[in-house]
Amino acid sequence: MTRVEKSLARRYRQERNFKRLGLGAILLGLLFVSFLFISIFANGYTAFQQTFIKLDVFYDPEMIAPVGETDPDVLSAGNYGGLVKATMRELFPSVTSRRDKKKLYGLISTGARFQIRERVMQDPSVIGQRESIWVPADDDVDMLIKGHIDLNLPESDRRIKDDQLSWIQGMQEEGRVEKRFNTTFFTAGDSREPELSGIKGAAVGSFFTLLICLAISFPVGVAAAVYLEEVAPKNRWTDLIEVNINNLAAVPSIVFGLLGLAVFINFFGLPRSVPLVGGLVLALMTLPTIIIASRAALKSVPPSIREAALGVGASPMQTITHHVLPLALPGMLTGTIIGMAQALGETAPLLMIGMVAFIVDIPGGAMDPSAVLPVQIYLWADSPERAFVERTSAAIMVLLAFLISMNLLAVWLRKKFERRW
Amino acid sequence: MDEVINRNSTIARELKAGSGAEVGMQVLNDSQSSGTVGDIYVDDPRMTCRNVNVYYGDKQAIFDIDLDIAKHQVISMIGPSGCGKSTFLRCLNRMNDTIDICKVTGQIKMEGQDIYDGGLDVVPLRASVGMVFQKPNPFPKSIYDNIGYGPRIHGLNDDKDHLDEIVETSLKKAGLWEEVKDRLDQPGTGLSGGQQQRLCIARAIAVSPEVILMDEPCSALDPIATAKIEELIDELRENYTIAIVTHSMQQAARVSQRTAYFHLGKLIEVGETDQIFTAPRHRLTEDYITGRFG
Amino acid sequence: MHTSTLIIVLLGLMSLAYYMGRKRSLNLVSGRVRDLHSLPSYYGLLTALWCGIPAILLLVVWISFEGSVVTGLVVDSLPQETQNLPPERLNLVLNDIRNLATGDIVSTTVDENMQQAADHYARLQGISHMAMFVAALSLAILAGFIAHRSISRQQRARNRVEKAVNFFLLSSSTLAIFTTIGIVLSVLFESLRFFQQIPVTDFIFGLEWSPQTAIRADQVGSSGVFGAIPLFAGTFLITLIAMVVAVPIGLLSAIYMAEYAGRHFRSLAKPVLEVLAGIPTVVYGFFAALTVAPFFRDLGASLGLGVSSESALAAGVVMGIMIIPFVSSLSDDVINAVPQAMRDGSYGLGATRSETIRQVIIPAALPGIVGGVLLAVSRAIGETMIVVMAAGLSANLTANPLEAVTTVTVQIVTLLVGDQEFDSAKTLAAFALALVLFVITLALNMIALHIVRKYREQYE
Repeated sequence: MTRVEKSLARRYRQERNFKRLGLGAILLGLLFVSFLFISIFANGYTAFQQTFIKLDVFYDPEMIAPVGETDPDVLSAGNYGGLVKATMRELFPSVTSRRDKKKLYGLISTGARFQIRERVMQDPSVIGQRESIWVPADDDVDMLIKGHIDLNLPESDRRIKDDQLSWIQGMQEEGRVEKRFNTTFFTAGDSREPELSGIKGAAVGSFFTLLICLAISFPVGVAAAVYLEEVAPKNRWTDLIEVNINNLAAVPSIVFGLLGLAVFINFFGLPRSVPLVGGLVLALMTLPTIIIASRAALKSVPPSIREAALGVGASPMQTITHHVLPLALPGMLTGTIIGMAQALGETAPLLMIGMVAFIVDIPGGAMDPSAVLPVQIYLWADSPERAFVERTSAAIMVLLAFLISMNLLAVWLRKKFERRW
Repeated sequence: MDEVINRNSTIARELKAGSGAEVGMQVLNDSQSSGTVGDIYVDDPRMTCRNVNVYYGDKQAIFDIDLDIAKHQVISMIGPSGCGKSTFLRCLNRMNDTIDICKVTGQIKMEGQDIYDGGLDVVPLRASVGMVFQKPNPFPKSIYDNIGYGPRIHGLNDDKDHLDEIVETSLKKAGLWEEVKDRLDQPGTGLSGGQQQRLCIARAIAVSPEVILMDEPCSALDPIATAKIEELIDELRENYTIAIVTHSMQQAARVSQRTAYFHLGKLIEVGETDQIFTAPRHRLTEDYITGRFG
Repeated sequence: MHTSTLIIVLLGLMSLAYYMGRKRSLNLVSGRVRDLHSLPSYYGLLTALWCGIPAILLLVVWISFEGSVVTGLVVDSLPQETQNLPPERLNLVLNDIRNLATGDIVSTTVDENMQQAADHYARLQGISHMAMFVAALSLAILAGFIAHRSISRQQRARNRVEKAVNFFLLSSSTLAIFTTIGIVLSVLFESLRFFQQIPVTDFIFGLEWSPQTAIRADQVGSSGVFGAIPLFAGTFLITLIAMVVAVPIGLLSAIYMAEYAGRHFRSLAKPVLEVLAGIPTVVYGFFAALTVAPFFRDLGASLGLGVSSESALAAGVVMGIMIIPFVSSLSDDVINAVPQAMRDGSYGLGATRSETIRQVIIPAALPGIVGGVLLAVSRAIGETMIVVMAAGLSANLTANPLEAVTTVTVQIVTLLVGDQEFDSAKTLAAFALALVLFVITLALNMIALHIVRKYREQYE
């Protein structure tokens, strides 16, 4: 006994150390999660605001169109760029040299002229009048206002020069500079100009892609699961299918992209960059997930229900459609939502089928070229402008919000319909 | 006993040599020599079984059973666990079809029609040979839908009123109407065990079957619920033919007119219930009845 | 009219057929449903299926052959000298004709012949479309009508409908097989074309990777070298780093969760760790490139080490973080599968928890854990976005984790993204790399699944 007791202290110390090691591993994992989220959030939350500058625009009939003109073609042909420049010159009459003027114009986003044109097209009666409007600032100004530009750097290394700085300060003192909620981010497509870019195009593209993916993978996945679980005899053929599905579930996603490229684009001649092809590829990719989840759901329906239905003379197909499927449906839906969440976050296979193109327009259907959210994130992450960093992070936040709500929905479904037999 | 075993091993050999159907025919001719003691035949059978063999894969579960099931009678099947009585019962409405590896040979006829005939549709068969299972298994639907499901899929009701009527009569026949008439829209799974089992019986009755098979219907119930079900079985005998598998000899004695004793996949003895329990002819039956094994 | 309109019309016809079939069956027995073999709805469904399916099959066949037939007819009508052009040139001409016919931009100037051919093309296509409409609709109506007429009391409508459904179920389940065949064929076919240009041995054993091929024949320098060893080495290095991060953390957290953690802690920490598994890889890639890589670079600089801003270390560590939940949930399953009796036996001898875990549970669970780790390795090898965004592009053959390396998946992406001539060795190389990737991950999966299954059987 004494020999046992002698070693006890050492053994308990080992025990404590081992337990700490395990706890440490979990805490490290949690630390990574929080670090990732904090880093994304810290980089991204500022993108939901955008700097605007107040301009006193004189809708000069000479530059736009004569007073009383209502023909949209004439109105849209007006020199709105010149109008913005004139307004800026008026604001800072002291700026005269060409180089300085260029720097001055650079403070305002190129989107300003379109905004003014919109305004005039909507209400042509403003021509000849003067009005204060808020227009988006250039992304560099935006970054400066948000404190992302280090003023200690020498002027030559800065995107904002010293005189631009003084102009901005001047405008700030007059109350012409303001940060507002960034609606552009949610209503615009991609753009080369960060302050004009938004995620709507990518979000709509993701929507169409997922729609196609769901329309194919859900019915086919459920049908395959029903066949394997309820109908098929257990033989070599079904074994082969089963092994196949398990292996497909672990094939790298990029390989599915190559399949899409070779089969859908090169063989069937479908266009590149369209949600239809993206959806098809993602459907093939999510199919194993849905089949595996649906089979588990079917397995959890007790055999007594099938016996009961068969016992009153329901055919096997009626047994499935009237009793087994309704009971297994929540489980199948849970699996499908999780599969869709995977598909929503998938990037690599879509790169292969050309969904990386720069697309400004918001797609109107499954055959219009478009990007998807994760690809948009990838594209923006590659852009050099500092302003795209925060937009990338913000897009990630939006994507994660979608994913987390989908997962919560799946958890809720599982909880709500969980049935103990 | 020895004779029985020898006979069956011969059949097993023959089965290995030739196809099942051939052997079935051959054995059919000398069915007089079946190993069963007692009255296999009845005058006015609802179902007739000849040379029924059941295999699970390579393993044979039922050996060469001949048995008639009489109209408007309760026949009970007793025997130790694993003797094949449930397997045999499930042959009678082809519930064994649901098991991939299960193969049935021989002939089971209902009103002269071979139910294992290749062209026969099991759906109408199962409508006319209903089944009640060991554990009550109501659908997770309302009481009304539980009863109405069968008539609906078989197209037995002409309209909604007719279906209401079928539901009401079935529940009344199952002695459940008074207890549930005010809550027909509530889930059947919410009833007590005994009520659930009577609901399952009502569900089977609703498609107006000719035969009702019951596979140890009271094994999951308490004595009071059991008594009710037994009473019900006795009443149902008037209109239906009932075959019941039970592990309780007392139950068999209480509810049935004929009794069949199974042992290791063979039908050892069949006869009037009174006779089986008072004067068994086969030694194995006697051993079982007197509780020497079981 | 558009094809989608046709499909909508067909669906309308099918609903009509359903209604008619149902009605006829009821009329036959003057409303007494029990005199019918099947429920009336089955007669309706059967009629609808007959109405819809042959027409849709016709549509599919028509659409898949329409293009080549129309093109063939147009080629026949072209002037002789155009017909005699080599296939590639002829294809270009045909493309222009098609674009002209649909009103898109054309690459060459339009001459008389072209315009004529385009008009011809458009006319033929119009005719073909019209014919397809007429054929599909009349087939639908005809088949539906015949099915409607053949409804009788004894017709086994339910059995036939069920047979059709059964066929749909069966074909759905074979889609998985076709996907695999599709993957193998598409990757293999292009790889073979690649190996016709570059010898297999050069590809597998070559030490230099520089896929830039000359676009014009007279260009100097870049002849394209396709030795894949540096890519394999880079993939291996990053996978190794990822495993060094993921396996200990994942395994230890699984052990803690399964053996030590209280219910509350478990129900809180487990979902949070699972969040890691749900994060898209592009997010990890961004995290690696924006936060982790600069962190390692600055850390290295302060220690006096030169760390590349695209170091294998950053990509590997982030990939490891991504794989932690994968390893931990697989190990959790495996550890929970160890029978309680084994633990009890050890505790009964007076062993402490950690002794039980180290000497009883882990040895018992080892095959399962190994299987799980192999699956994780296969995930890491196939992972794309993290390395595309955080690892390098140039193929360095090095074992130094502080330098930039490139991986198989990175090269597949860079070779295929952007506009490429599809036949160049450069593009085909991507398929050869994908073949290697597919074969390796497939082998790893098979081995891992086999080990895990054997392990499960042992305790079932």
